[in-house]
Formats: sequence, structure tokens, C-alpha cells
Amino acid sequence: MNASNDKKQMTEKPTQAPLALLGQRFTYFLVAVAVLLVVGEFLIHRHGEFAFEDMYFFPAIYGFLAFLFIVQVGKILRRLIMRNEDYYDG
Amino acid sequence: MDNTLFALQNWPPGLIMIIAAFAVPYIPHVARQAWMLAAIALSAYGLTTGAGLHLVWHVMGLELQLYRADSLSFPFAVIFHIAAALNVIFSAHDKKWQEHMASLSYAGAAIAALHAGDLITLFIWWEATAVTSVFLILSAGTDSAYRAAMRYLLIQVTSGVLLLAGAAILASVSGSVVFTKMEFGGADNLGVWLIFIAFGIKAAFPFLNGWLQDAYPEATPTGTVALSAFTTKLAIYALARGFPGTDMLIWIGAAMTALPVFFAVIENDLRRVLAFSLNNQLGFMVVAVGIGSELAINGAVAHAFVHIIYKALLFMSMGAVLHQVGTIKASALGGLYRQMPFTMVCCIIGAMSISAFPLFSGFVAKSLTMSALGDAGIVWAYMVLLFASAGVLEHSGIKIPYFAFFAHESSHKTTEAPINMRVAMGIAAALCIGIGVYPDPLYGILPNPIAYHPYDASHVAGQMQLLIFAMLAFVVLVRLKLYPPEIPSVVLNSDWFYRRLAPAILRPVLNGVFAFWGVFSGGVLALWSNGLDRLEQIMHSPITGPVVPGRAVMIQALLLAVILGIGYVLAS
Repeated sequence: MNASNDKKQMTEKPTQAPLALLGQRFTYFLVAVAVLLVVGEFLIHRHGEFAFEDMYFFPAIYGFLAFLFIVQVGKILRRLIMRNEDYYDG
Repeated sequence: MDNTLFALQNWPPGLIMIIAAFAVPYIPHVARQAWMLAAIALSAYGLTTGAGLHLVWHVMGLELQLYRADSLSFPFAVIFHIAAALNVIFSAHDKKWQEHMASLSYAGAAIAALHAGDLITLFIWWEATAVTSVFLILSAGTDSAYRAAMRYLLIQVTSGVLLLAGAAILASVSGSVVFTKMEFGGADNLGVWLIFIAFGIKAAFPFLNGWLQDAYPEATPTGTVALSAFTTKLAIYALARGFPGTDMLIWIGAAMTALPVFFAVIENDLRRVLAFSLNNQLGFMVVAVGIGSELAINGAVAHAFVHIIYKALLFMSMGAVLHQVGTIKASALGGLYRQMPFTMVCCIIGAMSISAFPLFSGFVAKSLTMSALGDAGIVWAYMVLLFASAGVLEHSGIKIPYFAFFAHESSHKTTEAPINMRVAMGIAAALCIGIGVYPDPLYGILPNPIAYHPYDASHVAGQMQLLIFAMLAFVVLVRLKLYPPEIPSVVLNSDWFYRRLAPAILRPVLNGVFAFWGVFSGGVLALWSNGLDRLEQIMHSPITGPVVPGRAVMIQALLLAVILGIGYVLAS
């Protein structure tokens, strides 16, 4: 295998690994921060604008569920209001 | 020399930019950018004149306040100048003059509108922003951009006409057109409503918002950046001036924060995703205006200020991608982190700012509104805005950078954006972090005195929990392959009502009218030509003898009839 072939392989079949690796590292980082926050929840006396916010892990649970809800509604909405790209043409 | 145009410091800020814009076509390319920056600097220097009423004209019994500055207009004026300057830098590679002229005069008109002390002057600049900005959409040069531009212009001009009609009613009832807080339910109720709707169109209220997502993403890569800054924030300023503390705005604003979130999830055009996100952000400001307390108005203004920067940054990063790759469809992008690392970093800084991560600018602004909601004790709106905060993270915080720069390996051979684009993005990114880390200068120019400290451990921990666990939800969905894939598509929005529904209903009606008109006019024409023949006959046949032609008699008879008619009307 000569050099030009080598180079071709590098540009054409670039690196499935790095992107996957990046994603994995990001996931680990996120989980690490989440663990810190969970620990912090017991160390910091957290208080919000309203009393219900002071429940343990309220923002975490609300954020997690809100995200799932948004994506789920989005999926349903796709069936209702998504059209082909040329819908408005002609 | 007070109150005259001869003293430069009495010129309304922005006016000088509009005048300078007329020279733009005649100045060669590189010097042109310097010229425009100089015009913006000179206009900004005009702000040093300070608060007060600096230019008043009396026209037809109305007092027109062409230059009024106060603590509400000032922060908007500062950020409008910054946005205008950023836009000049971002578009510096563009050698054609058309867009530069349009965006400089557009920014100038928006700045002048901030300093309009009466509704008539406001109307003039209100319309000027419409007719200047439409060229930023037209410049894209595509057929769909042309049609979107025409729809945009129709809607924008309609907003202006409503504003003028409302102002006329106010003038006839109270004799004053001074632009100040307005109340519903008075003798001028109709006028107040018309003005409210005029503002609501430009602020993209629910169901009045179609033009925003329709038109902005059709503009050029640089044009969208300019568009995102001015029109809608001018409307927020107008609402904050005219309708602070209007309860209805809390409902409207809350709907604005929540509804676009769902549309943004499934939209494929990433600049259109940002347009939905812009709509959602306006919702936060509208809620704050609706609360109307000192803290809340500060929140609305601070949010508008930082929003202009990070939204411009996000539109710049997507504009850079569009400029380099030629498409901005999520389904056709991905993996650009390799080719455009600088743009990627800037985009993520914008994404973290809009998501209100601590140490980024969104956090120090949004906190004000949330605290004001807490003070006002409006739980339901607080919950909606908290939910919408997770929504912001979804579409602007994650979707934009993820689908443009990651998602899957890139099939595009491209390079980093031009240097001027990178400089503009770099400045905007620095501002996002700078304001987030050190918010005091921003707090210092807000309309009301403020002693607010966003960085306490409890607040930071709460916000981080919300954001990090929402991101975990994203990671879980992607890993389980449950996250909806990008699909080439259009998403129906409120512009559907006038792009599809109205034509579907009106076209048969119009066809009927035209068909009827055809038959009717055919009949009338036949009668008419018949009648003319008869008239001709009468005219040419002498009535009283060979000397007096019939024509003269007819004319005299007609004249007499007219004179008698006028006399009758006057007498009665």
C-alpha cells in the first residue's frame, strides 16, 4: 500500500471512531457532572422562588421529564404538521 | 440652538446611519466597511447627549418628538449599535453594496424608532424598518426568498398601518400622540387595541408569528443575522414602553415560550429552528413586560440585550455553515467539528448562553425574569417558563450544535469560515462570556435601579440540575435511538393560514366573483355601447333648428343640471 493510497483511505474513510469516542467522553463527562450535582444536593441548602422547588431534586426531575415530553410531543406533531419539502411550491 | 437640526447632538441617533447608507453604493468595497463602522460610531456618539427631549417639531397641531431619550431607550440603543457593528464585520467579505446599504439603513431606522417620542414618528421608522429589511431577504435571490419577502413586507406594512390607525384614533380622542403607557378600556379603546396588535405582529405573538419563521430563514447568510437583531426587539421595547404590567401579556408570553419549542424539535432547517427559538425567547421578554414590576422590566431589557448577542452569534455560526457548505438542512449536515472547529466553539458558546448556563449571559438575564415571577407569585407561568427553559436547551442548546457539527461524519469537503466571520463570532462569543461572568455593567444601564446577585450557590445548583438532567435525557434518547431523526420536510406554522387556507377558501370565491363580473360587465358593456350610439344620434340631430347643434344644447343642459344639483346641496 503506497502513500497516496494511504492518504486516500484517511480522507475517504475518516474516523468513525473519533466521533463515537467524542460522544462517549461527553456522556462520561455529563454523568460525572450529574453525580456531582446529586452529591451537591445534600450539601447545599437549595431554595427556589416557590416552596415546591425546595423538594429534593425538583429541577433535575423537572428538566429530565420536560425534555422527554418535548421530544414525545414533537414526534406526535410530526404526524400532524410535517409535510414534504415541496409542499408550498406550485 | 436648542431643538434644531443644526446642532448635531440633536439629531436622532440612527438617522446619521440612514444618511450614510446612501453613500454606500459609491464607496469601494473595503473602505465601505470602515465608512459604515464610522457611521455607527458617530450615531452611538449621539447617545452621549443623554436623557431628555432633544428635537421636537410641530406639524399640523401635533407635537412630533423626533428625539426623545430615557433610561428605557438607552440600553436598547446601546445593543442595537453593537449589533449593527457586529453585522458590518460579519458581512465584510460581501463585495456587493446592496445588502450593506439595506442593513445599515435598517439598523439606523430601528435605532431612530427607539428615540421616537410620539406614535407618528414611531410609525415612520416602524415602516422604514420594514422596507429596508425586506432587501435582506430579497438579496438571497431565490424564487422562494422573493415570495417570502413579499409576504414579509405585506405583514410588516400591515403592522405599520394598524399603528397609524391606532395613533389617529388616539389623536382624535385625546389630541396627543405622545408615545407613553396606554390603558385598555378608555374612550380610545379601539386605538389602543390596534396599536397593541401592531406591536404584537412585530413581537410575533402566537398566530401572528408566521412571518418570522417564514421569512428570516430565507434571507442571505448575513442578512438573517441583521434581521434577528432589530425588528422583534424594537417590538419588545414598544411593548415595554406602551403596555408594561398588562396582565394579558403574561398569558401571551407564556404561550410564546412554550409553543415554538415543539415546532423547533421537528424542524429540519437549522436557521428556521433558530427562528422558532427566537420566538420562544421573545416569550420570556413579553412575560416580563406583562409582570411590569421594576425587576421584571429590568429582566425584559436585560434579556433583550443579551439575547441580541447570543442569537446573532447562533445565526452567525449557522450563516457561516451555510456560507461554507451551501446548505443548512440538518438532514444534510453533521460532523463539521473537524472542518470548522472555531465556528463550532462559538456556536456552543452561543448555545450555552441561550440555554442560560451559569457564567454565560443568558443566565444573568433570565434570572431577573424568573425572580420577578417569583415575587409576583404566578406559579403557573413560572412552571411554563421553567419548562420552556428545558425547551431552549433542547432546540438551541443541543439540536443546533449537535446536528451541524456532530451527529454523524461529514460528507462535505469544506474549510473554516472567512476571517471576518470568525472575528465577528469571536467578539460576540467574548461578550456572551464577559456579560455572564461580570454582569454589573449590564445591570448598570438597566432602566430601574437594581441590586441583584445571580450567583448564589442555591440558584446555580438549581439551574445546573435542570440543564444537566435535561441533557442526560437527550443522551439517553440518542443512545436508545429514540431521538427523532432529521427528515427533509417543512413544518406547518401559522403562515399556513394565509399561504394555504385563505387561498383555498378565497380562490373559489374570487373565481365566482370574476365569472359573475365577466357576465355582468359583458351585459353592461353591451348596454353602454348601445346607449352611446343613441347619444351620438341625439348629439348630431338638431333639436331647434339648423343653427344650434344638438351637442351644445346637451352640454348646456348638463351644466345646468350640475349647477342646480350643487345649489341644492349647498342650500340644504
